[in-house]
Amino acid sequence: MTQILIQGLLLSGLYALIAMGFTLIFSVGRILNLAYGAYLLIGGYTYFYFAQTLGMPKIAGVLLAAILGCTMGILKFKLLVKPLKGDHVAVEISSLILAVVLQAGVVLMFGDSSKILLPIIPGVERIAGAAVPYSNLFAAVASWVILIALYFFVRKTHTGRAMQAVSMDPKGAAISGIDADRINMITWGISGTLGAVAGVFFASYTQLYPGMWVAPLIIAVAVVIVGGIGSIIGTLIVAHIIGFMEVMTSAFIAPELRGVMTMALIIGVLILRPKGLFGREEL
Amino acid sequence: MQLTKTLFSTAALSTLLLSSAAFADIKVGFIGSLSSDTGLSTLRGATIAIEELNAKGGLMGEKIVLVSADTGEDVTEGVKAYEYLAESEEVDFIISGSIDDVTLGWLPRMQEFQIPTLDTWTSYIGIIDMVIEDPETMAPYFMNIASDEALATLYINFGADVLKKEMGWESVVILAEDTAFGGAITGLVTEALGPVAGIEVKEIITYDVNTNDFAPLFSKAEASGADFIYQVSSVNSQVISSQYVKLQVPMGMTGVNVSALGMEYWEDTGGQGGGISTLSPVPSVGYALDATSEAFVKTYKAKYSSRPAIPHFNGFNAYYGLKQAMAAAEEAGGFKDVKKWAAAMEKQDLTLKKDDKLVLRYGFWDKDTVEPVTGRTYPHNALFDLTAPYEDAAPSMVVVQWKEDGSVGVVYPPEFATTTFTLPSWVKK
Amino acid sequence: MELRWYHFAAWAAFVVFMFLMPEMVSKGTLRIFIFANFLAVFAISWDVLSGRTGYVSFGHPFLIGIGAYTTAILTKRFDVPVELSIPIAVIVTMIAGLLVVLPALRIKGSYFALITLAYMELIYQLVQVIRPDLTGGTRGMSGLPTLTRGAVNGYYMSLTLMVIVAFCVWLLMRTRIGTALSAIGMNEEAVKGSGLSVTRLKLFAFLLSALIAGLGGAFYVHYLGSIAPRALFDINFVFTIIVAALIGGASTTIGPIIGAFFLTFLLEYLRPYLPGAERYFIYGGVALLLYMYQPKGIYEIINQGWSKVRARS
Repeated sequence: MTQILIQGLLLSGLYALIAMGFTLIFSVGRILNLAYGAYLLIGGYTYFYFAQTLGMPKIAGVLLAAILGCTMGILKFKLLVKPLKGDHVAVEISSLILAVVLQAGVVLMFGDSSKILLPIIPGVERIAGAAVPYSNLFAAVASWVILIALYFFVRKTHTGRAMQAVSMDPKGAAISGIDADRINMITWGISGTLGAVAGVFFASYTQLYPGMWVAPLIIAVAVVIVGGIGSIIGTLIVAHIIGFMEVMTSAFIAPELRGVMTMALIIGVLILRPKGLFGREEL
Repeated sequence: MQLTKTLFSTAALSTLLLSSAAFADIKVGFIGSLSSDTGLSTLRGATIAIEELNAKGGLMGEKIVLVSADTGEDVTEGVKAYEYLAESEEVDFIISGSIDDVTLGWLPRMQEFQIPTLDTWTSYIGIIDMVIEDPETMAPYFMNIASDEALATLYINFGADVLKKEMGWESVVILAEDTAFGGAITGLVTEALGPVAGIEVKEIITYDVNTNDFAPLFSKAEASGADFIYQVSSVNSQVISSQYVKLQVPMGMTGVNVSALGMEYWEDTGGQGGGISTLSPVPSVGYALDATSEAFVKTYKAKYSSRPAIPHFNGFNAYYGLKQAMAAAEEAGGFKDVKKWAAAMEKQDLTLKKDDKLVLRYGFWDKDTVEPVTGRTYPHNALFDLTAPYEDAAPSMVVVQWKEDGSVGVVYPPEFATTTFTLPSWVKK
Repeated sequence: MELRWYHFAAWAAFVVFMFLMPEMVSKGTLRIFIFANFLAVFAISWDVLSGRTGYVSFGHPFLIGIGAYTTAILTKRFDVPVELSIPIAVIVTMIAGLLVVLPALRIKGSYFALITLAYMELIYQLVQVIRPDLTGGTRGMSGLPTLTRGAVNGYYMSLTLMVIVAFCVWLLMRTRIGTALSAIGMNEEAVKGSGLSVTRLKLFAFLLSALIAGLGGAFYVHYLGSIAPRALFDINFVFTIIVAALIGGASTTIGPIIGAFFLTFLLEYLRPYLPGAERYFIYGGVALLLYMYQPKGIYEIINQGWSKVRARS
């Protein structure tokens, strides 16, 4: 039982981090960023290139990944989202095309074969029969720290409150003098950063390969659908529901049904509670 | 030499060359992924063989040219690539480095166009079964790697000789991916491990190939009380092996791990792959080679600096297989009479020896010969030998192990072993 | 919205021109046309559902795959003749289409797009897990009966299918139903207010889309002769279908056809010059730039160009 708890917590922390950047854009900009997975892809490969191929310090690898992710987020807002202003379908579709282009770019630069990242912190601890690699523990703790920091950023800072305002009522926010463009740009930047950092952790959990953007996108989609949008706490809770469900399906039911259960949960929730478990009614 | 090299690096030039190349040339088509180690091994093996043949005057006085069609390991792209080779390029012969489902995708096209085709990577026994069921339309198809069923059959002997006899393991938990490949291998292994090797199968755990976190699965395997884990993994083998190392799972693990087949495994896992052992088709990494194959590797290394550093087994298959296909064409007066070519191809036979010991044999089973161990036929499949002392042909597979220091060697069968099977340092016996 | 003689004349000219194609081009080119025709059918199917009503589906391969798998399993495992298995496959796909309508009654916009993506992922996982003896599991199935052999026959088959589907959809969209469907895309509330049954209209659009998807999927699989889950339930396949419809011009009949032909030929014509991964990079890049330049599609670009020419003369 302790094993399940530990394994569930570790995986859920990672999922929460993956989903957060996606939720953020969805709630502030009302946009499904289908290229979100590509931030993870780019983040993972950036870290691999600098920290593993060039042998730079790991922290520098993470930082460079974060910087590149942030830049990509901002660039995407400036070059893609703004020119297509107002047309959500167009933004979503061009995001999808962008993700496919980026995937092809990664194949071009790094080839098709998958790669394993070195653990960020080597070593493993056995607690109550469950093996806890320091790396995974670090990833989970880091996710928590980042999410708590984000929570306070959104609640306590001026910019954060402005983000909330834009999320709830873009027109009202504009009237009260908030520069929605600037807020959106910041949100895209944060989302890109979160995605790229999540990519480093996700890749160090599993592997790096050009198609790796789809799986985290599905996780993020699952969290958004089940949780509804707009709430950091909601995202956190739902990431844990999904993480624990995966671990428990693997342990108690049948490991091959892992993905099926997640999809069944999504469809069930959408049909029964279309706004999600924690969703706001006006959306 | 230089020209052909540019052919592949400069794509634009290649069309120029190809369109200006007279249609009297012998045209060989490559189908496979141009960005995977697997695809590149076959492509480069074929390229080197063609250069050597052209240096000796080509085939029947004509120059051999190569065109390639990328599949991107996508099934539909594979069908398009085959059609492109057949109808736009009108190639005479196709050499394939495709993976299982891609080959299955274009096979109906091969049956339709009847172009002599040699597969060097996929080992799916279902395709050999198609040759048995439908010898007419499958006549142009050859596979010069031992089929997966033969690989698994010989692997059982490894279980009896090493795992049971030397390591003293009595029971196993099978950790298999949920794919057709996983299912087929698991079936063979579970059926034979008990009766042949005397190892009890405690539990079979089948997992979803998109699994991110193997910790719960390893916990489950430990809880089964078995002596070791038998893994069957072709899709995300690196994940499972690197998590085995990262989590320091306290039991031995062996089996099928497709990612560990190439020399890039160590680099790709960042050294997180020590202790992993896998069955491998021959010639595997760490396999002692004969002089001709050594020379091929030398040419390869001089010519290519990008990965794969050393061709995978299918690179050797492509190198020798292409030459055999051309020799068969010489005998059959070209590729046009497919039946005649296939008959000549079936008779191809090349034995490679090192210190008078057979290390590789390139030849094919005919439609009537029954393999004594499995009791079935393998028409158009590469010749293999399932019983020691492996004098008829090379063994269908060898077991290789990656050590924690990054070295790799063959551990089974003993006739070919270069090192011994050991447990990773963190596993207590 | 009225039908004029020159509409039919344009259709007739298009059909005659396309039917003469095998006289003009090589077999290799015909093979490219075949894939373009099938992609056009899928894009039209997507457009009926998403382009017109605004319910964007990210899981269209769900429907195509059900049609394809139904006929593949029936013919391969139960020896059902193709003449019977294709109609059954279409009916099964339409029943599956009802599954897609269900959430659409309550969910709009991005959530609807997400649930269709979830549908596709679910069936992708299920096909591999449930009864692999029937579906062929991850490897899929090979050696399925094919309807035709040879490039020319395959071309005529796919062209006939595409022309019939396109013509019927075009006619239908010129009726009041078509107008009402597009109105849903513009403003669902207004349609409701005008006393039309939105539910019934949506049901009609979804079933029509499923019918075309099922038909296309079934013919497609009997053209390919093989089927694999990874080739069908794939986000790249979704990408190609949607982009074909949008880059050509959504909410028109000719648009998805233009888009399908443009994308297929772009990718194939790059092959001799860029055999490797560069091809997909350029292909995606061109699609992205073109789409960013004019989200309404090539059809709109042509229209604008045409009106400029007319204004000048």
